[in-house]
Amino acid sequence: MTIEVLFAEVCNLCGDAQNAEYLRQTLPDAELIFTPLTDTPYFVGHTPDMIYMGNMSEQIQRRVIGALRPYKDRLQTLIDGGTVMLFTGNAGETLMKHISYVTEKIELDGLGIIDLTVKTDWFKRYNGKTLGKCGDLDVLGFRSQFSMVYGDNAGNAFLKVERGIGLNPESRLEGVRMNNLFCTALLGPILPNNPLFTEYLISLTGQTAKAAFRPQAMDAYEQRLKEFRDPKTEF
Amino acid sequence: MDKLKFYVAMAAAKLSAVGLRLLGRNASYLPGLIAVTICKNFIGHLEKPETLICVTGTNGKTTTSNLLNTVLTNSGEKVTNNSFGSNVQGGVAAALLLNSTFTGKHKNRIAVLEVDERSSLLVYPFMAPDYLICNNIMRDSIKRNAHTDFISHIINSAVPATTKVVLNADDIIGAQLCPQCEKKVFFGVDALPPAKTEGMKARDIVYCPKCGGRLEAEYLRYNHIGRWRCADCDFASPERDYLVTDVDKAAGTFTVAHEGEAHTFKLVNDNIVNIYNFCGAVALLREIGIPYETIETAFQDTELVKTRYDHIEAGKLRITRILAKGQNPVAVSRTFSYTAKCPGDKKCLLLIIDDKEDNVRNVESTCWLYDLDYTPLKDPTVDCIIFAGKRCKDHVLRAAMSGVDLSKIITTDTVKNCSALVDTQKYQDIYLLFENYWLDEALAEEKRLVERGESGT
Repeated sequence: MTIEVLFAEVCNLCGDAQNAEYLRQTLPDAELIFTPLTDTPYFVGHTPDMIYMGNMSEQIQRRVIGALRPYKDRLQTLIDGGTVMLFTGNAGETLMKHISYVTEKIELDGLGIIDLTVKTDWFKRYNGKTLGKCGDLDVLGFRSQFSMVYGDNAGNAFLKVERGIGLNPESRLEGVRMNNLFCTALLGPILPNNPLFTEYLISLTGQTAKAAFRPQAMDAYEQRLKEFRDPKTEF
Repeated sequence: MDKLKFYVAMAAAKLSAVGLRLLGRNASYLPGLIAVTICKNFIGHLEKPETLICVTGTNGKTTTSNLLNTVLTNSGEKVTNNSFGSNVQGGVAAALLLNSTFTGKHKNRIAVLEVDERSSLLVYPFMAPDYLICNNIMRDSIKRNAHTDFISHIINSAVPATTKVVLNADDIIGAQLCPQCEKKVFFGVDALPPAKTEGMKARDIVYCPKCGGRLEAEYLRYNHIGRWRCADCDFASPERDYLVTDVDKAAGTFTVAHEGEAHTFKLVNDNIVNIYNFCGAVALLREIGIPYETIETAFQDTELVKTRYDHIEAGKLRITRILAKGQNPVAVSRTFSYTAKCPGDKKCLLLIIDDKEDNVRNVESTCWLYDLDYTPLKDPTVDCIIFAGKRCKDHVLRAAMSGVDLSKIITTDTVKNCSALVDTQKYQDIYLLFENYWLDEALAEEKRLVERGESGT
């Protein structure tokens, strides 16, 4: 199994680097390919089983869009072909239609693979949590973001939100799922925080694996799920 | 109208300060908050001291401010400062107004004010610092501080061009702060062992800010603190005006070289983060004209404040309490690393590092734990690790992912009386690492351990 981790040296803002580490520990035989921002992605000439990219600063996000733009069609082909992809935090925004960087007064087209737009404002920080359903799975996580996403994801949302917000404060649908591409504003340790989702994600590659340190991960997950569902917990 | 608002704000603030003191409470924040709420430009209306020094940066603000205060006070100055108060806008305003007359005339010649980076835009436009020292800019609470680009942007937008900035040359991010300021002084620490070229996986800078090429480390101390050069252009870490050339842990001294002179000072604490803080303080004090002899003498009487670091021997027990700033992965990583190297070949670590507020009617974001380096806990001298707090299960998972032997770990989801889990018959070297807001609870646990040490139970 081959997993490409895109631009891990810069897309690691909120502990996101440990998602790749958790995959490595869950799949000890998998080959993890870490592609730096200055190199041609592995997926250009090969078909990895999974691609992962984590959260980043806005400055890096603009460089990432520039780095991926030449490979937009290849990415679309891989998505259509069912390659598993997980983009956390603001990584998925790079695939969207357009980003307005309000504070920096920059307008930039994303790759346009996802028909949504983004507004990023350094003076509007949103911190929160989201709990939602991906099929039968309860997926939960944390959010700390300057951006909100706008548009219609009714037909391809990642999560139906039970608590917290979706694409933006008015939305109850979080993220995007296109075939096996998952884009979510949840950031940081989404895989170790969601061992069942980790196992599900791996199953989409055609393999089965138990999440690393499953008893400990499930212990932490179940406690957090209980806390997220507690009506006293503020969102 | 604005002046009238200022006097109303001053009266209300002074009155609130009197009231708070009568109630036996600290007047280091609320009066300032009242003042800036009534009069937005309150700080701007106040007369400033002759020399206004501000201290900012991710880590080391309080230690540096305290050190500057100690040296200046020892040299005979009465220093306006917010050491015991808040470092946000209200705290800065409170420190200034409490040292001003009703008409706003400042009473002291000099002020040392710690300023939270996020408050820069609410403070510097209303008071231009003569000197600003920044020890480092690195990843911090993701909720408040987001990332280093954001924090640098805020500071750069707020600091006036007239300010002389004292920057850490070994912090390639912080060293680029305030491009608008012409007057800059750099400090750093020479390539003393154990310098290395590999640091934490998650770094806040990888590519050259000038050409986008890959930065190469000559050596690293921690995170991105070290010496850098670009592989593709002439960009490199700036030269150091004040340089720590020697750290003699055995003798308890460190030496700073500047313009061909070298002076030796008492090493108040040997943690590398503090050596940077000490060097920055020396640089700033020299820049404002304090003689070396005065600085050397004052360092002799200086200790880290007891609320941040303390060591107590009680019977057979050696109890060390160290601050580990929660939600700040670099700071806690440094504390883990430092503790692993501390004395004791069979240590017990009691960790109270969860956020206090975020676990009340909320669930703390654990993102920062995944930037935190748990590998020092694998050190063979660390024999027992007790995670106390609501997030203890998350710590166990992170520790497991880092290769820590799970049989060494004990957990409890309550902080109160967590020290009861320490086997004092088995462990004599006990390290209590605590988040700032758990200070009272940490002191209580320390006291319990001291009592057990003294009674031999």
